[in-house]
Amino acid sequence: MTSRREFLKVTGAAGAGLVLGLHLEAKPRPGEAAGAEFRPNAFLALRPDGTVRITVPKTEMGQGVRTALPMALAEELDLDWSRIEVVNANPGPDFKSMQTGGSTSVSSTWTPLRKAGAAARQMLVAAAAAHWKVDAQACSTGNGFVLGPGDRKLGYGELAEAAAKLPVPKDPPLKKAGEYRLLGKRMPRFDGPAIVTGKAVFGLDVRRPGQRFAAVLRCQVPGGQPKAWDETKAKAVKGVKAVVKVPTGLAVVADSTWAAFKGREALAATATWDEGAGKEFSSTALEAQMRTALTGPADEARKAGDAEKALAAAAKVMEAEYAFPYQAHATVEPMNATVQVQAEGAELWTGTQSPNRAQSTAAAALGLKPEQLKVNVALIGGGFGRRLGTDFSTEAAQVAKALGGGPVQVVWNREDDLRHDLHHPATLHRMRAGLDAAGGLSAWAHRIAGPSILRSWMGGQKSPAMASAEANGALDIPYAIPAIKVDYAEVEAPTPLGWWRGIEIVPNVFARECFLDEVAHATGKDPLRLRLDLMGNQVIVRFGRDEADIRRLKKVLRMAAEKAGWGRKLPAGRGLGLACHAYDGRTYAAEVAEVSVEKGQLRIHKITCAVDCGFVVNPAGLEAQVEGGIAFGLSALFSQITWDKGRTVETGYHDFPVLRLADMPAIDTVIVASAEAPSGMGEPPVPLAIPAVLNAVFAATGKRIRRVPVSSDSFK
Amino acid sequence: MPDYQLTVNGRLRTVDGEADTPLLWVLRDTLGLTGTKFGCGQGVCGSCTVHLDGKAVKSCQTSLREAAGHTIVTVEGLSKDGTHPVQQAWLAEDVAQCGYCQPGMIMTAAALLKHKAHPTDGDIDEAFADHVCRCGTYPRVRKAVLRAAGGAK
Repeated sequence: MTSRREFLKVTGAAGAGLVLGLHLEAKPRPGEAAGAEFRPNAFLALRPDGTVRITVPKTEMGQGVRTALPMALAEELDLDWSRIEVVNANPGPDFKSMQTGGSTSVSSTWTPLRKAGAAARQMLVAAAAAHWKVDAQACSTGNGFVLGPGDRKLGYGELAEAAAKLPVPKDPPLKKAGEYRLLGKRMPRFDGPAIVTGKAVFGLDVRRPGQRFAAVLRCQVPGGQPKAWDETKAKAVKGVKAVVKVPTGLAVVADSTWAAFKGREALAATATWDEGAGKEFSSTALEAQMRTALTGPADEARKAGDAEKALAAAAKVMEAEYAFPYQAHATVEPMNATVQVQAEGAELWTGTQSPNRAQSTAAAALGLKPEQLKVNVALIGGGFGRRLGTDFSTEAAQVAKALGGGPVQVVWNREDDLRHDLHHPATLHRMRAGLDAAGGLSAWAHRIAGPSILRSWMGGQKSPAMASAEANGALDIPYAIPAIKVDYAEVEAPTPLGWWRGIEIVPNVFARECFLDEVAHATGKDPLRLRLDLMGNQVIVRFGRDEADIRRLKKVLRMAAEKAGWGRKLPAGRGLGLACHAYDGRTYAAEVAEVSVEKGQLRIHKITCAVDCGFVVNPAGLEAQVEGGIAFGLSALFSQITWDKGRTVETGYHDFPVLRLADMPAIDTVIVASAEAPSGMGEPPVPLAIPAVLNAVFAATGKRIRRVPVSSDSFK
Repeated sequence: MPDYQLTVNGRLRTVDGEADTPLLWVLRDTLGLTGTKFGCGQGVCGSCTVHLDGKAVKSCQTSLREAAGHTIVTVEGLSKDGTHPVQQAWLAEDVAQCGYCQPGMIMTAAALLKHKAHPTDGDIDEAFADHVCRCGTYPRVRKAVLRAAGGAK
């Protein structure tokens, strides 16, 4: 692996201490060629004063990368954790493809970060040994110091200059797992102290001298444009400085956020709209189209055997329709960005999961080259995929341009955020199962119909290539059924779409794991037993570009069931339900929910989650991701975005409910000890929450719920 | 515009502003105290929670006129150096994920404990009913409140 390229280089100028540039990248897929040119995209700087700066190319959005990534480097380098400063990288020539998503931050950086730490350590030891005129073998390191024979001791800062003149070791040895001091230990969040004192700076907290605030009046129907408006009343609001037309609507610019909001309200009362092509769009009409598409032509995403033939030959065929609605990201920090253009250069401040695209799209809006716009990545008040989009930062650049430079901060409010989200789209699922005379599962067919996120994102024409992305979670069904067919029928929608925490895997695994539960109950089998039997003796199974080790999935399923007390006797009205999935073939997770339903009220008492994500860098971070992932998944059980006359019905947390503290179940996280390379934990717990709960509802009440969101009527 | 006087984090401040301006924006845009967060502006997410005369209030629903003459404490003024028991408990339980909603949660927790030294689970549920944390830090919020109350290790 390491011979693929040179990945480390001394990049600092004289006097800077030891600055190492290193290259972090995703693990190459089999057969993928590695580039030849060395371009560092992360930096380690050991300064002469002994402080250490680590520049990371991943965005912190609550998943703990600003803790976990430095841990990997600090471990090999034996750093003093208290002297570390973590800096977010700026996209540019050194950082060309920054993106944070897909639960890949740790897996893609884990090895190079440790190698960089080990290389720097070796250079520091060599420098100390040369200074002391002793053998490097006689030296050790600890807490930011090189230690030599006879109480010799030199700080890394003192050695940094000398170390920087030494050759960088090509393949430094790494510590063995038993030697770790930091890795695998519970490390508190790096930004904790700044957060609890209110000092942490999120995008919305950016303040520049002379900064203005802007609120954009947009058409409630995405894509619509203002036809006519009267600026008089808006401009009469105290503090309002200007109204400018931008491609997304009309920006009201003021000396405070509140004045901008008030001015916008006054302007809204006067505006008339050309609502555009999406003005008739409704959830009801979309659902009818999706239902038609459940039996029409579709693109194949997975084929094993001949499912139609097997269904025709089956002794019994079960069929059910599952429905999942549009969802919103609803991050607590609304979208925002701040832009300033002046003679010395242009700058953008924003919380973004896609810094490079934010740079290129905002620069284009300003008529600049990407390298002429400096992008400062702020802390993110919730990402969940929403901030992969660059619509809001581009809009801020457009406002700044219309104003002749800014600085201006464009602030969305909650209603803007829900109406103009890049929503996760609705889907309908037609599930069919063929049973043989003995009740064995002989055929499985899963048809998905709905708008394509991938096409909304990439543009272009309808294409069979969309099927494998939209069927993720359905096509990689881990059960060895003789005949399997998973296909996808695209239904067009006029609204901009985006991925959401857990992506298409959430609705697809919901339908898959609930329908399998139906099969279990219909054939008189225990849902745990049926899953284990269907996984059988499979070892490594390839699904498209991913492959999964089914043994690891069986193990987490068994562990979750055992910890949750699967099979124990429960009082009437109480039930257990389970679900499992191998997420992108990399992280294995199973959840068991314990629920009760009384007088039409669902209570989720507890969720036990067993996970195998390889070696766990920070167990505290992992547990937080399990708790948070389950909370995100459970929220979706109760929320939806509904379209009517081209606009969302929902406008805030009052009608788009998000799980609250009182409704949060107890979470019991079971970690599988593993020496495998770390994978990812941001998303894998999300898709299991809904099917585990709804399968538990069936166990408790005998009521099968196939439609999300649920309401109290669902349990009658 | 009229002048309003209010005490913010121990300092008497004179604010020249419109009477209906929410305290949230006075704090963030006029006084530069950005620790108090904007989440919904509709009074249902709790991110903007501050103390008014020791009670937790939503600063997006409190006008400058209503705040005038009162004593306001924001997350920046809860302690000089992050040593308030609630802040310490928050660190000990490693509550924060993205951290955005946390100042509001911390202010609610501090007000709750001031009035109820040993809250029950039900008290905690009620106190946080108007708070949203999209990252799902809730189990740790509960633990941190109990820890700050001296009821948990």
